[in-house]
Amino acid sequence: MEIHQPAGVAESRPRLLLVGNPNVGKSVLFKNLTGRYVTVSNYPGTTVEVARASSTWDAGATEVVDTPGVNDLDQANEEGRATREMLARHPDALVVQVADAKNLRRALLLTLQLAERRRSSVLVLNMMDELEARGGRIDLEALSERLGVPVVTTIASEGRGTDDVIRALPTGSRLAVDQGLVAKLEDAYARNRARLEQVNELLQGVFALEQPTQPTFGVRLGFWAMHPVKGLGLLAAVMAGLFWLVGLVGAGTFVDLMEVGLFQQRLNPALLRVADAVLPFPHEHRIEELELTVEIPVSPVHAVPLGSSVREVEVPEYELTGPVVGWRRAARFGHDLLVGEYGLLTMALSYSLAIVLPIVATFFFCFSLLEDSGYLPRMAILVNRLFRAMGLNGKAVLPMVLGLGCATMATMTTRILDTRKERVVTTLLLALAVPCSAQLGVLMAMMTRLSLPAAALWIVLMVAVVFLVGWLTARVFGGGSSDLILEVPPMRRPQLANVTTKTMGRIRWYLVEVIPLFLLGTLLLFVLDRLALLDALARVGRPLVVGWLGLPAETAAAFLVGFLRRDFGAVYLLDATIGPNPALDEHQILVAMVTITLFMPCFATFLMIAREHGRKVVVAMTLFIFPFAFLVGGLIHRLAGWAGL
Amino acid sequence: MASPKVAWGAKGGFQLCPLCGFEFQTDDTLCRHGCPLRSHCGLIRCPGCGYEFADRPSGILGRIRSLIAPREAWEEEVCALVPLRTLRAGARAEVVSVRESRGDRRSTLAVYGLVPGAEIEVVQRTPAVVVRIGETELALDPAIADEILVREPPGDPKSPAP
Repeated sequence: MEIHQPAGVAESRPRLLLVGNPNVGKSVLFKNLTGRYVTVSNYPGTTVEVARASSTWDAGATEVVDTPGVNDLDQANEEGRATREMLARHPDALVVQVADAKNLRRALLLTLQLAERRRSSVLVLNMMDELEARGGRIDLEALSERLGVPVVTTIASEGRGTDDVIRALPTGSRLAVDQGLVAKLEDAYARNRARLEQVNELLQGVFALEQPTQPTFGVRLGFWAMHPVKGLGLLAAVMAGLFWLVGLVGAGTFVDLMEVGLFQQRLNPALLRVADAVLPFPHEHRIEELELTVEIPVSPVHAVPLGSSVREVEVPEYELTGPVVGWRRAARFGHDLLVGEYGLLTMALSYSLAIVLPIVATFFFCFSLLEDSGYLPRMAILVNRLFRAMGLNGKAVLPMVLGLGCATMATMTTRILDTRKERVVTTLLLALAVPCSAQLGVLMAMMTRLSLPAAALWIVLMVAVVFLVGWLTARVFGGGSSDLILEVPPMRRPQLANVTTKTMGRIRWYLVEVIPLFLLGTLLLFVLDRLALLDALARVGRPLVVGWLGLPAETAAAFLVGFLRRDFGAVYLLDATIGPNPALDEHQILVAMVTITLFMPCFATFLMIAREHGRKVVVAMTLFIFPFAFLVGGLIHRLAGWAGL
Repeated sequence: MASPKVAWGAKGGFQLCPLCGFEFQTDDTLCRHGCPLRSHCGLIRCPGCGYEFADRPSGILGRIRSLIAPREAWEEEVCALVPLRTLRAGARAEVVSVRESRGDRRSTLAVYGLVPGAEIEVVQRTPAVVVRIGETELALDPAIADEILVREPPGDPKSPAP
């Protein structure tokens, strides 16, 4: 988030720095103070960028800065570094420390570190409602007196107490706790122990909270989610729900509505008419009868139909009705470029907006829901032991699940892992075998063409590849792995407003990234088609695609565009799969699915891997993934053929 | 369900130097690091002061001896020190020590309030150990839970009175 103001004005404005532990409601207070929402997640590491916005209470005279949540200002990770940097860059800014009222002990640890830095601050005790519901008490006056700073209480999620915070800002003062002795200690551990002693003294007679005797439903659900048996059941239920919503509703119903209902039945014919009027040349478009069926899926093959509509519409394919000469050749070129078979509008936009967008949007919605509920860290606990075999710890499951949404975004999230080895191995697995949601949706659609054993084989193979490659790289790669230390946030009911803003933010990010690449990919196909290079490419790729994989020669183009976006390649294959006379039979679909899943991730992911891990890693991964995908694809071609699949 | 307490003097158990009172794990004894005799001399050398003393005999001999000469009070106290991992779910305990290991792990744990003296409650043991420290729930790798020594309060729920 940025502010558009002359630099000079921005520099002279007073500033507020929001600082606090993770998951205490800093970003909600930020929104209450500025009217802007930042997407900050329920687990650490997704956002290490610092959000800034202008205040609303004094007409933008103050700049409010939101920092990533930290437990320790000295901590060595990205969040710690970003927060330290913000504190150092604005030495005179007032610090508004946001604390979870229930967990005052840990907040005060941070307060003492601020005192060591001689900062002026206001302490905001958030989530007072949860404290009161638990029968907890805080003596605000005594606490304020001991710390020497104003203490304000809020319930940020309901917007209560924001005015009190604003009123307290001018009274913000320097923390009056003497930290001279602690600062002299050299060891970080010794300093933290000394601070904890001080916190205990500060809290003496100020803070009281009993452990609840009757666990609430949320608490019990939280236990189940971590339980070795019930947890796996819940995990299976969550995965089944995710599959139903993303794979069936998103990739089925929503894609049908967008692709057939919106694009093919309405938008494309309109675009064709406009193009024909502006760029005329003698031709006639084919008329096809397109049927849109809206249904609620129950299983991959069963659905409850809701209704259908049939329209006779023009499709991009056309036949010439006269000679094309002179300027009309230019008109035809423009027509084909925009609305032809590889048209920027008919292919790129309908692929990206009608097929990819509904799938990605439903996935991001589900992911935000899971994120807001606090379920994801519990998932990390469940799979911890499994991931140990790969030299990773359970935390690595978070980027992997996010990778089911978008591998580029997930590559960035590998930052939450502690060692370089873990980051690189996780990135490799993401690039190799975790299909992103757009691709996953397309693959699901292809999967409906497969028999049950073949579909099962694909799933088992992908899981096996993840663990085998993970296990092998863990042995090949040097460097340590780290043990799991993970804070488990309480399970909460997801807030719809939170979930929607998070989903919208991710979709926006995705579209900005995806649409240019789809346009580029379509342009590439168009140019290759014009220069008759698509056939040449098919000839060159023949030994590999036909000889080794046993696929039709035309699918070589799918792997080419797969470089640009893996899901683009998959969509391309899907186009060859569905329809009245598919170009691929069942066995070929299986081989194509395996190969395209293992194939390179998209171009954007490459750039992101290079940014996060350096060029060497990208080159090494490319040299591994490319032959590996074709190797496994070819082996499956032979093995499955032998097994009769 | 309750796993056996790691006994005083047993392999992988805890030792208390009779001279200086230093508490250490048997594996940390100097005999295991560089002494050509290894543990064959039957003596334990305290890493704190270097005093050598006889290991408490294990097996049948040890049992007979413990029948004749019951443990002294200070020995019982050391007995009560167990790794966090051996506690069962629902048990409450006090952290006694966090072993120094690679990196700044001790400092990381301290930030969550897991320091000697802290009161903790075990929420679950598998697949990862989850402990509650005040309002914080923390998931730990079993390997880390092995390195945290805790003392259970007398009359703890692990051994309920009949």
